[in-house]
Amino acid sequence: MGSITPDFRFGNFAGSIVQLVLVVVALLTVLILPIIFFTLFFVPLPVVNGQVLTPYLFFSMMVDPSRTLPIIKFLIHTDYFRAAVFPGFGFSALIAAATIFIERKLLAKMQLRIGPLYAGKIEGIFQLVADGLKLIAKEIIVPSGADKPIFWLAPILFVSTSAAVVSLIPVASGWVVANVNVGLIAIFGILGFFPLITLLFSWASNSKYPFIGGLRALHQMIAFEIPFFLSALPAVILSGSLNLSDIARSQNIFWNIFVMPINAFVFYISSLAELERIPFDLPEAESEIVAGWLTETSGMIFGLIQLGSYLKLYALSALFVILFLGGWYGPQIFPHELIPGASASNISLLKIFGLVGLYNAVTVNSIFWFMVKTFVIILLMLITRGINPRIRIDILLHTGWYKLIVLTFINLFIVLTLIYGGILGPGGMISPK
Amino acid sequence: MAGETASQFLPILYPFGLGILSGVISIVLSRILSQRRRYNPIKFLPMECGQIPTGEGRSHFMMQYYSYILMFVVFDVMSIFLYAWAVTFFSIPKEATLPMMGFLGIMFAAMGYALFLSGRKGIW
Repeated sequence: MGSITPDFRFGNFAGSIVQLVLVVVALLTVLILPIIFFTLFFVPLPVVNGQVLTPYLFFSMMVDPSRTLPIIKFLIHTDYFRAAVFPGFGFSALIAAATIFIERKLLAKMQLRIGPLYAGKIEGIFQLVADGLKLIAKEIIVPSGADKPIFWLAPILFVSTSAAVVSLIPVASGWVVANVNVGLIAIFGILGFFPLITLLFSWASNSKYPFIGGLRALHQMIAFEIPFFLSALPAVILSGSLNLSDIARSQNIFWNIFVMPINAFVFYISSLAELERIPFDLPEAESEIVAGWLTETSGMIFGLIQLGSYLKLYALSALFVILFLGGWYGPQIFPHELIPGASASNISLLKIFGLVGLYNAVTVNSIFWFMVKTFVIILLMLITRGINPRIRIDILLHTGWYKLIVLTFINLFIVLTLIYGGILGPGGMISPK
Repeated sequence: MAGETASQFLPILYPFGLGILSGVISIVLSRILSQRRRYNPIKFLPMECGQIPTGEGRSHFMMQYYSYILMFVVFDVMSIFLYAWAVTFFSIPKEATLPMMGFLGIMFAAMGYALFLSGRKGIW
């Protein structure tokens, strides 16, 4: 730690911070506030709570917090909020970051190690911050002879394509970024880009190990994409829709996993292969081909690919929950009102803390159960990594083509038999509404 | 109608754009913050476990499972076709399942034959 200069004084440090704050405040009042007002003057403003939201009304609502609730409610129902914060990019990136940390800690405990320990006082909880700082401060080395545009573009595309997959996942009824009629097919379509990005990146790095890794990624897709597609087929038959929200809603009586356990298993296996996780991490097999297609990555490029693959992990776990584990359905455990009697009372403080008009018990409950189920599936995928070796590529192809496809068809015929036997489907003994 | 269908897919592009934005920002930030040391010829060599690389990075590479790729091209499309049937399952008459079983039978027979051929030595 030789970076602190000898004439360092805390007083000077505090003084400079106060000066910075003053400059920021001055800029805010002189420049930024007028700019906000000018733009708001020309932008058509939405109607909130029966009156047009002018800048004056906006600021008066900011002062009185109980009037802020309608604005917040309006904001969280816009498309941009959904895409950027809640079911979209911000939330899923947070989950991905949490997953990385939990995975490192969990695998360490499983293998009788300690895991991240030093960053942060308690169990190294700031490890991710430290890692992020480290990755950002590292030099990105582009190997000589690499195809530079593709080399720079591929990691960015990896992250953004994963984010596009996440945008199709509904976390509660109506809480989805893109409510597409063909959501399932769209997810399959977007997932098909990943081996392409992998292959492009490995081709662009002009190195032998990444190239072999990229080709292996291609083979993995070839072995596991067809069982991956077919395993979702009975769920689509039962719900009669490709919309993911409709598929989840069709399971309000029973979860799909009870009639299609084999398919759930196949889906789980093939999503592990899709995610390139152990036991199917052939494209990045550390003990065989250095780091596979990630060999030439360094610094932030590696960080972006890591973020993208964990976003994908979240998306596929959520897809498993939607297809087989009944989506967001679960017993209602949240109270109807956060503070009983808050909406009827006149005290504004009660209304603020009770989040009157903002808090919806059913939605909160749905999100809670969806997250619990997704977390269980994520843990299942993490634990698999801790206890399994890697399989050989010919066994991988053999498993995909000879076993998993046949298993999906067996379960398809079981579901068809149940439908024609008058048990499932409309008019059956247990018919989803 | 076509515009409506297309606008359904528009929100997919928001997170996609955010991903691109965050990726570009983090890489630019990393380029600004990271220290770049002087050039030396070994640093930018492709990784080959400490050896000096010989030959091209992008060489011909023998992948022995070419037959599976050919099969994939056919059966991937067929498996997606099954979704058209699955979505309309309850709105078409029950007899329509029979031709579908015929389709599945043909698909299975073809797949079995292709797998049998792919296992044979000396023709690939």
